[in-house]
Amino acid sequence: MDDLSTTAPAPSETPAAAGRVPTIRVENVYKTYDLGEIQVRALRGISLDIYPGEFVAIMGASGSGKSTLMNILGCLDRPTKGRYLLDGKDVSGLTKRELAKIRSQRIGFVFQQFNLLSRTSALENVELPTIYAGVPMQERTRRAKEALDRVGLADRAGHFPSQLSGGQQQRVAIARGLVNNPSLLLADEPTGNLDSRTSVEIMGILQKLNDEHGLTVVIVTHEHDIAQYAKRAIEFRDGRIRNDVLIQNRLIAEEVLPTLPAPDEGLIDALGNGASAPPNGSATQKK
Amino acid sequence: MIVRNTLHRPVRTAITVIAVAVEVTLVIMVVGLTSGLLVDTAKRTEGIGADVMVQPPSASIFMAFSGAPMPMAIGGKLQQLEYVQAVAPVLVQFNSVNGLDLVYGIQPESFRAVSGGFVLHEGRELQDANDILIDDVYARAKKVKLGQKLHILEHDFHVAGIVEHGKGARLFVLMSTLQEMSGAHDKASVFFIKSDRTDHTPAVMDSVRMLLPRYEVRALKDFISLMTSSNLPGLAAFINVMIGIAVAIGFLVIFLSMYTTIIERTREIGVLKSLGASKGYIVEIILSETALLCLAGVAAGIGLSYLTRLILLKVFPSLPILITVKWMFLAGLIAGAGGLLGASYPAWLASRKDPVEALAYE
Ligand SMILES: Nc1ncnc2c1ncn2[C@@H]1O[C@H](COP(=O)(O)OP(=O)(O)O)[C@@H](O)[C@H]1O
Ligand SMILES: [Mg+2]
Repeated sequence: MDDLSTTAPAPSETPAAAGRVPTIRVENVYKTYDLGEIQVRALRGISLDIYPGEFVAIMGASGSGKSTLMNILGCLDRPTKGRYLLDGKDVSGLTKRELAKIRSQRIGFVFQQFNLLSRTSALENVELPTIYAGVPMQERTRRAKEALDRVGLADRAGHFPSQLSGGQQQRVAIARGLVNNPSLLLADEPTGNLDSRTSVEIMGILQKLNDEHGLTVVIVTHEHDIAQYAKRAIEFRDGRIRNDVLIQNRLIAEEVLPTLPAPDEGLIDALGNGASAPPNGSATQKK
Repeated sequence: MIVRNTLHRPVRTAITVIAVAVEVTLVIMVVGLTSGLLVDTAKRTEGIGADVMVQPPSASIFMAFSGAPMPMAIGGKLQQLEYVQAVAPVLVQFNSVNGLDLVYGIQPESFRAVSGGFVLHEGRELQDANDILIDDVYARAKKVKLGQKLHILEHDFHVAGIVEHGKGARLFVLMSTLQEMSGAHDKASVFFIKSDRTDHTPAVMDSVRMLLPRYEVRALKDFISLMTSSNLPGLAAFINVMIGIAVAIGFLVIFLSMYTTIIERTREIGVLKSLGASKGYIVEIILSETALLCLAGVAAGIGLSYLTRLILLKVFPSLPILITVKWMFLAGLIAGAGGLLGASYPAWLASRKDPVEALAYE
């Protein structure tokens, strides 16, 4: 982790960010869980800007408050103190109903345990958020198919989660997160339940979405290797930000994958049909 | 998806559907039996051919339940009223051995004068104290033959004749015999009156009311319409209690089934909510699944009702069971309402689950 501290400053402090509206602006946020006798201070004054098109990895030891922040960023929870602005709008004071609406329209979620509905096909799983967002019936299936196509699983639309590998399930979950064309994709330990090769595949899909569609991606990971696929790394400790840096020599999943054994069929297509496939080489550093 | 969700837990779904089916069957059968019995009795009473019936004060129109009999002497006074052509006193007893049947104690002459007489299929009219007349339906249903012994009201009767059905009861004995047996000497349960002309019936009723102010005087013309459970407070209460029990069964089973379901699916509900599902949507899912279970239960219940009637009619062929479309519909409605009510608390619980906590649920 120490190597991160020696790299460049975070983009929010760079001139490039000036004048733009951040997708995420967290201002001095505190979150305290009141358990009666004890009070757990999960977040102790977090301030953070994340701009459109960023790819951020949040790191830190277990219990350092990563998931708590993700819940707040995802409008699943509200800060005890401080402000959270999503696309420039303060959402800290919104009602649960308004938050639910924001979740369905502006935010895509990916979980460590995939959390697909087991008695529901891949396509139907992906369709779910479109129902809540009030998308018309005919449009739903079309959008769901498109999203599955983006993660290279168009041919698995009719499969049930139990018929898919862990990596495929997580890709369905990503498609589900994308289906309403959110501006922000949040993933709490998306590779936590996957082997290392499949983890890289998932990171490849997230990289592609970030590169080609400009999707803002925030992931939580405690694996240092995985964080190297992001563009920026934020390290948590005891509910505070300890480090916030740009990643130098960022890894590109598409290049790493061929060096790993046993490819997952279908994925090559998903990555390959992109227009921006860079040539092979070691000079792969991307901003 | 809703279908798949319910089929995923086949045992629970089956039990829930069966419970709703039993609920519906119970309602349909209780109502079918009571109203069948009432309409059947009403039709036969109307078939006697009398115009007016006179019963003791506050007597039930369902004669088997009527208590305090009237002195026979009233019959003589009624006979003297203007426009009265004939008066037939009848003592009614209720036989509950081997089925539910009314037994009429009659005087052959007066009963003939009012009703126009029996149509005899076989045998002869009542003569001896131990004679009994049965109607053709009873004979067929109970496989009773002319001339055989019939044990009724703890007395051995001799089947003297088989008559066409539709004259008040299915079983007729001499009034004197029935009075003797029941210790109601010189008493009658009801007087049937025939007026000389149909349009004189209201006048006859008026004069009977003058003569016997507190007595129940009814025109037989509108007897069937009177013979509903709402005119029989005790019966109505019984029906309501049975329906209440049926609804309670359905309510509790649905409640438990849906409650278990939402606890089991806490995590799933958390996922749905985190993806932006509103409270209304969660409620909708739970209630849709409940509606599906209720629908299947109601359909099964209607089928079960017909099956039950088939079996009952095999065992008690003369039992009148009236299954009406109206009550199939009402029973379905009652079951549906009970089910949705039972599911509403679980649905409400599910809808207000906190997504973060629900997602953390293992
Ligand atoms: N719902 C909760 N109630 C009480 N304490 C909680 C709750 N959620 C998290 N915590 C506590 O808050 C702290 C931060 O947790 P979390 O954000 O899940 O950490 P991380 O995701 O980095 O492992 C931990 O001490 C944890 O026990
Ligand atoms: Mg966590």
